[in-house]
Amino acid sequence: MRWGMVVNLIKCTRCHACIAACRIEHFLPMGMNWPRLIAWETDVPGEELTTIPVRCNQCKDAPCVEVCPAEATKKREDGIVYVDNDICVGCRYCIIACPYQNRTFLSRDKDPGYFPGYERTRFEKAGRKIYPHTVGTTEKCDFCMERIDAGLAKGLVPGKDREATPACVNTCQARALTFGDLDDPESEVSKLIKEKNAFQLHPEYGTDPSVYYIDGKIGNAPSNIAPREEQTASHMQHLSTMEERAKQIFGKK
Amino acid sequence: MAEKKIIKTTCKSCHGGCGVLVEVTDGVITHIEGNPDSTTRGTMCAKGLSSIQHIDNPYRIKHPYKRVGEKGEGKWKQISWDEALDTIAAKIKEASEKYGPWTVATSQGTGRGYNRYTHRFSRSMGSANVISPGYICHSPRIGLYGLITGYGRLYCDYHGWGGVFPKTQISWAKQLEISSADSELCNWYIKSLDYCKNLIIVDPRATAYTSRATLWLQIRPGTDAALALGMINIIIQEGLWDKEFVENWTYGFEELKKRAAEYPVDKVSEITWIPKEKIIQAARLFAQDTPGVIQIGSSLERQANCGQTLRAIINLLGITGNIERPGSMVSWVLPETGLIEDVFNEIPLTDEMRSHIYGGKEFKMGAARTCNPDTIIRDFNKGEKPIRVWISVGGQQIVHLASTKPVVEGLKKVDFLVQVDLFWGPMAEMADIVLPAAHWLEMDDIYDMHPRFMIEAHNKCVDPPGEAKSDAWIFNEIGRRVAPEYWFKDVETLLDHELRKAPTTWKKFSEKTISGCFGPDQVYYKYKTDYWRKGGGFPTPTGKMELYSTVLENLGYDPLPFFEEPGESPNSTPDLAREYPLVLTTGFRSPFYFLAQYRNIPWLRTFMEYPTMQINPKTAKELGIEDGDFVWIESPRGKIIQKARLFPGIDPRVVAATANWFYPEAPAQGFRGVFISNPNVLTNADHQDPMYGSPDLTCLICKVYKCKPEELKDPKFGDIFTKEHGGKPWAW
Repeated sequence: MRWGMVVNLIKCTRCHACIAACRIEHFLPMGMNWPRLIAWETDVPGEELTTIPVRCNQCKDAPCVEVCPAEATKKREDGIVYVDNDICVGCRYCIIACPYQNRTFLSRDKDPGYFPGYERTRFEKAGRKIYPHTVGTTEKCDFCMERIDAGLAKGLVPGKDREATPACVNTCQARALTFGDLDDPESEVSKLIKEKNAFQLHPEYGTDPSVYYIDGKIGNAPSNIAPREEQTASHMQHLSTMEERAKQIFGKK
Repeated sequence: MAEKKIIKTTCKSCHGGCGVLVEVTDGVITHIEGNPDSTTRGTMCAKGLSSIQHIDNPYRIKHPYKRVGEKGEGKWKQISWDEALDTIAAKIKEASEKYGPWTVATSQGTGRGYNRYTHRFSRSMGSANVISPGYICHSPRIGLYGLITGYGRLYCDYHGWGGVFPKTQISWAKQLEISSADSELCNWYIKSLDYCKNLIIVDPRATAYTSRATLWLQIRPGTDAALALGMINIIIQEGLWDKEFVENWTYGFEELKKRAAEYPVDKVSEITWIPKEKIIQAARLFAQDTPGVIQIGSSLERQANCGQTLRAIINLLGITGNIERPGSMVSWVLPETGLIEDVFNEIPLTDEMRSHIYGGKEFKMGAARTCNPDTIIRDFNKGEKPIRVWISVGGQQIVHLASTKPVVEGLKKVDFLVQVDLFWGPMAEMADIVLPAAHWLEMDDIYDMHPRFMIEAHNKCVDPPGEAKSDAWIFNEIGRRVAPEYWFKDVETLLDHELRKAPTTWKKFSEKTISGCFGPDQVYYKYKTDYWRKGGGFPTPTGKMELYSTVLENLGYDPLPFFEEPGESPNSTPDLAREYPLVLTTGFRSPFYFLAQYRNIPWLRTFMEYPTMQINPKTAKELGIEDGDFVWIESPRGKIIQKARLFPGIDPRVVAATANWFYPEAPAQGFRGVFISNPNVLTNADHQDPMYGSPDLTCLICKVYKCKPEELKDPKFGDIFTKEHGGKPWAW
């Protein structure tokens, strides 16, 4: 089992919701961004604007794990690379070692509270208990491993069941992010990687990232026929209070 | 053991509508995420998620205040709700008796579900002078859909309920992918793209989708009517129009054909700066790969040719038959609660109320139920007193009206102005009484942006700060004091009244959180049935879709659409353009701000600290501007500062500025920085659409030059441009 993500650059709208969802999920201090968006703008016709969402690549051969003198950065069997902030000594070797620059050091000046000079909000205070951050250590995206673990314990499938899926994937309006098991050839991520010629960022770094990207064009849909579940709106029908009355008044005769 | 509950509610961080789950632990919100059992399938945007920073935000207004200094001096005295409400009621009664009820105006920001209250409130007092940004956002579309098809609500069918999705989509001056605007939700649009064959984008600048669309028409701002007429002409010349629909269900095709012939593709290409091959391709794709939709953005309604532009686009939909068929433009069957606007329609406008609508004689279409704010400002500055009491809810007229300097002067002359708001902003600094409003996480209310196929519930998750109250409560309490016969004993009774047609009660509805008409319950091809008219047809005077508008003809307007240059452009004012050589467009969507809102939400301010203007690197190089420089943008009306972003996705002859910008962190003096960076300092309120009065906000001309470092230290800017990191919540 190896958790991975496919980022669809065709769909990403540069909306920043993934960043906001991460902030709320992990009660991130003001100066911290686990996922980031890289704005790519050129004057090449047809390639004017691309947004590349990046986050820790959870590399198979992770240089950050190797350089950590305290063995605080660890790699799990499922491929997730995480930092044990109780052990991290804040030497920041990993920040230098990460070729993708996806790690951030939480310094005191990055944690002044949402409204410096004012009392911390109740959300912030609650967050200190639910998801503590240790000033003087390094942080990064860990694919919401708490969600994955809690979900698996309930028998849920990460990438399919919301409760077991990273927060950024759940919130993406464009559905540009797909999550799942790279080792399972039947998973959505594996199929996308195969069918859409997915690529990793900078494969020449030789770290084998678990985050893949696909790109291309919108449109050219093979058909505009709506699948049955869309036609019947079954996914929302149960919410409706209208069905019966609608049929009486406007039902197709 | 912590008490944890999940509350289902509805976001309105933009126009809103996304389903939300809020986790409340021991009375504190500990998590916000999308509700998977909603029409937006559990997704949420940065604005909605960052709503958590409205809670315990130290900059919120928490109590009623009355002004004790001069306007804009920032001196306030806290007062009780009773004193505030009684004072407001007394002022309204006094003005109404002395000068007539029409001198009491009610204004609002963009539609946030309180439209029905502003209108009901105004009408209950006997005034039709509602000041709304509608005339530059959505009202012209609604009015003209109504004029042409007889029914005023055409929406894109993004749902597949009729069996198909749109095959060709035109996104015209719109970025629905980052905003749930005008009764459409971003998530619906994006999903429909999975079934789309051709996506055509009309936009002066590159967006996330332009690079990936089938076709991008990079248009000169303000020339959209020419493009639409040019496309109509190509479709007619090439015989691609929908013959069955046009012959049986439209009126005035021959006249339209003749008018469109005045727009041959070479001429249109010259006007719009779009290569003619692309115009031809767009016309062919839209006419041949049907069904199709056109998502029209409100930027087109911020132009003095707005009415004609929209009419040309609607006619383009008409001749291609993209009306009321599955996957095209559809008017939705309403939920069982009926037309939510009946909350105010049940108090009809009288002839007397109508006759006192400001700007009504000039802008006949705009005066259907709102007045023209630019006319009011002009009258104030002429020394008249058109309005005695101005009740403003949520909006920042001072920011969004054209030509900020006269607007500020005009507003200073209002005898009594009330602002209901979440935060201290420029409009609050102008007010005599400021009332604290509740955020959507803090209120019970019914969500309905504009009549569409569903309504939703805002359920209160936590208490508002201090003494803040919901909009419904505030309207009801003032209403009870001035027109008790139209108002209710409490908010719950008011909400029950709004839901009575279902019939249901607020308590029951609040549990369900949504009521709608989905899937097979929707009805297509209404014009082929008795739905609108016995024997079929559209509810227009001719019974057909009026490509040639008999109603406009009777009102004295041109019954056929035409193109007119913006009030100021390289073509209409060539002499002026020598001094101001760049075309300026303003008001593009930002995914993390909503119009004038959210500069005081730290998480969102991190995404764009300063207002940003986009300029092509070639132009910037000629002007000696580098990425990240502060620059002056100047028009004949004034100059503003924005931060330059070198952006190859914009035409070298055009620059785009971030609109509606003020600095909530700026001192009250100077109205919270309303003159520093707001592009409306540059716009002109005198170029107005003859039907709606919409001014040229998105197409004007300017010059751009680098801002000298010492100019940024001008004391009048405070520490806005000089502050060090760490000092302010938005310093990152």
